[in-house]
Amino acid sequence: MRAYVEFAKKAFQNNIAYRADYVAGVINAIVMIFVNICIWKAIYEDEQTVDGVQFKILITYVVISFLMQCIYAMDEYHIEYKVRSGAIGLDLLKPMSFSGYIFSYNIGILVFRVVMQLIPALIVSIVLFKMYPPFSLSMAIYFLISTILGYLVLYNLNFIVWISSFWFYWTFSLVTIKDAAVMILSGALLPLWFMPQALVDFINLTPFASIYYVPITIYLGQVPMEEIALVMAKQLIWALGLFIAGKLLWKTALKKLVVQGG
Amino acid sequence: MPLIEVNNLVKDYKLNVRKKGLLGSIHSLLVPEYKMKRAVDNISFSINKGEMVGFIGPNGAGKSTTVKMLTGILVPTSGQISIGGLSPHRDRRKNAMRLGVVFGQRTQLWWDLPAIDTFELLRYIYKIPEKIYRQNMNLFNDLLEINEFMSQPVRQLSLGQRMRADIAAALLHNPEIIFFDEPTIGLDVIAKEKVREFIRYINREKGTTMLFTTHDMQDIEKTCRRMIIIDEGTTIYDGTVEHIKESYGTSRTLVADFPEVIHSIDIPGVEVIEEKGRKKWLRFQKDEVQVSNLIYELTQKYGIIDLTVQEPEIEGIIREIYQGGIKIDESLCRVC
Amino acid sequence: MGKKPLFNIFELFVLLLKYAKLSLKSILEYKFDRTFITIAIVCREMISVVVMFLILVRFVHIKGWEYNEMFFLYSFLFLSYSIFVLFFAGMRDFAEMIYSGEFDRVLTRPLGLMYQIIASKIDLSAGLGHGIVGVILFTKTAFSVGIDWNIKNIVYYIVILISGAVIQASIFLFASCFSFWTVKTDNLRNMIFFNARRFSGYPISFYPGIIQKLLMFVIPFAFVNYFPAQFYLNKAEINSFWNGFLYLSPAVGAIMFVLVYMFWRQGVRHYSSTGTSR
Repeated sequence: MRAYVEFAKKAFQNNIAYRADYVAGVINAIVMIFVNICIWKAIYEDEQTVDGVQFKILITYVVISFLMQCIYAMDEYHIEYKVRSGAIGLDLLKPMSFSGYIFSYNIGILVFRVVMQLIPALIVSIVLFKMYPPFSLSMAIYFLISTILGYLVLYNLNFIVWISSFWFYWTFSLVTIKDAAVMILSGALLPLWFMPQALVDFINLTPFASIYYVPITIYLGQVPMEEIALVMAKQLIWALGLFIAGKLLWKTALKKLVVQGG
Repeated sequence: MPLIEVNNLVKDYKLNVRKKGLLGSIHSLLVPEYKMKRAVDNISFSINKGEMVGFIGPNGAGKSTTVKMLTGILVPTSGQISIGGLSPHRDRRKNAMRLGVVFGQRTQLWWDLPAIDTFELLRYIYKIPEKIYRQNMNLFNDLLEINEFMSQPVRQLSLGQRMRADIAAALLHNPEIIFFDEPTIGLDVIAKEKVREFIRYINREKGTTMLFTTHDMQDIEKTCRRMIIIDEGTTIYDGTVEHIKESYGTSRTLVADFPEVIHSIDIPGVEVIEEKGRKKWLRFQKDEVQVSNLIYELTQKYGIIDLTVQEPEIEGIIREIYQGGIKIDESLCRVC
Repeated sequence: MGKKPLFNIFELFVLLLKYAKLSLKSILEYKFDRTFITIAIVCREMISVVVMFLILVRFVHIKGWEYNEMFFLYSFLFLSYSIFVLFFAGMRDFAEMIYSGEFDRVLTRPLGLMYQIIASKIDLSAGLGHGIVGVILFTKTAFSVGIDWNIKNIVYYIVILISGAVIQASIFLFASCFSFWTVKTDNLRNMIFFNARRFSGYPISFYPGIIQKLLMFVIPFAFVNYFPAQFYLNKAEINSFWNGFLYLSPAVGAIMFVLVYMFWRQGVRHYSSTGTSR
């Protein structure tokens, strides 16, 4: 366990070293929020309800979504780098679980993002944009739990994509396509209630909604109390399902590595 | 009239005292802090057409800065460089037409393509007439056997093959002057020999002027007659390779195999520098002790089974010069 | 002594084609990868299009902009970016040349530096990716927003796309120039460029005055798509801007390029007096 904490610490320190990335990350998030708010403002100006509830809900949705994007960012090319450079051979010799190492590494990044990016972006957002606070205290707690579950769903989904680097030399394309799917289908950019029913029905069959849409709607109080347990159970099942799929794929990848002799 | 004339060449670097991070670098950009470093300090030399000259010196001595100024990459702080009447910097493009440059550590070949594609491109970059292109390609193939790997992507070539192709590429337009920056780095003995042989051949047949920077003294010994040693930005030696050997390589080592283990040898002017079983390495100055006398004496006293006499390697001499063990006589400079 | 150029225009053009041939050949070495990257770029770029589409399905129009007009506006961004990376990708990526030392090689060749930078690279994947999205948007909208595609309009359209490409190339080149002073600016560059581009996806009239000014005078993306689109659409809101802006894109591109080129020359001078940036 200690070793994994050390990996996380290391990742945290590595990120600190890239201060430029850090400043850019905060500014990017704020610009993105701002652009979206401007657009929604323009939309609701036509509808004559800029001060209405609808508008304020959307602003809150946008802000929360981008703040979540801030902390959901992971190192997408770490495994690819390990595979291509051959460093993975050495890592596998070490007395540790490789997937455990990758996870703790990303946790280090997560902690960095929360401390160094989320908090400043959150403060700026609260000051600049008039967003709603969480619907209630209990919803705030459920939101936090749901966000963690959302992170796990995304992490396990990402892990599957990352492992594909054992088969593909470059994973840029796959990662980019995955990102595109996540951004649109999870409601990160546009709430699902604006989407056609057929698309929503499809999304409900996939893990995507669990990542952004579920936590945000809990924050907004749009999920009735009696359904909270159900939606979170669904998140948990997706996280587990993807975790198992990732494990199986990892086993296959290892076999491939052994056959090819690293 | 020498082809290359360098007079009182000086190069000062303004070293940016850099601060870390984005804000730091913006700060350094707006309020730059500099530290001056004189990399080349008043160097002069001239090189005639057809000469082969080796530039040597420890890392950071200023030799690659000098070469960069000669090739037009860097502008001198002061002093003049004239290459056949042109300034490498002011007449960069015209000068470039007559220059070939080989960077041993960096290829100019397109990495993902067969080398032949780069050659085709160079044909247009240097406006090489069809006939000369054909001639050279045939010549390079005869000497370097490049055709056998010309159609493989460069990334798949071995280092030796890649270097051969790189050298051929730099020579394709029949440059009057060629700069080699570490041309044999990382090559095995056979590949090195092949490259050297080729370089000698081109120099002989085409009269191409050649300048080397290298760490491998063998490169210099086997190709150049003249060498320029640079240390701390100044020329500390400019003369023939033989001359430096004769003047400073005065020690000899006699390796003798004796019939039994001998504990001490007591002959004036002879020093035991190594021993291994019955074998001993004895060093002496050739003008103090005569080899024939020494051998006679040893045979008389102890008997000798086998012996060899070693001359000092040029490498050892140079090492001593760098370390200050040998003081170069001022009068020796610019003997040729 | 008269300066006779080493190469005439025709020779330079032929050589440019040779360079292009090699670039394309290199790309084709990885056919599968490159195709896949193109598909990925199309997917990535389509997200914002899809979001805009879904919003417009629900709201029909925003501030008087209906969806054909919005996508027509958007298409400029993709098409000009596509032209930019097909022809000027070297200007975008040339900082790498300095870090790798490749720039030294460029200096030992008998060709102009900027010529070599531009000739050295073609980003076909991005060019195709953005180009595909741009062409889809353009063909879907160009004939339903009431534009009479006469000769004048067609010529101006081409001029404007090239101007847009030059404006974007200038922004990238400007950022890359800092590498002459050994400053790493990838982050800053991406931040400035892509955030400005994000804003430009929608009409600048959606934004507060300061952002509008920023997009007009600092990072002049308004001249890549907003004013060009307005030249054709002539929506009423254009009256709040000076009418001349509609025709200014080529001038903005030219001025930016000249200014950035001067900065670049300064950078080259600095480079050749200090040498490597490592």
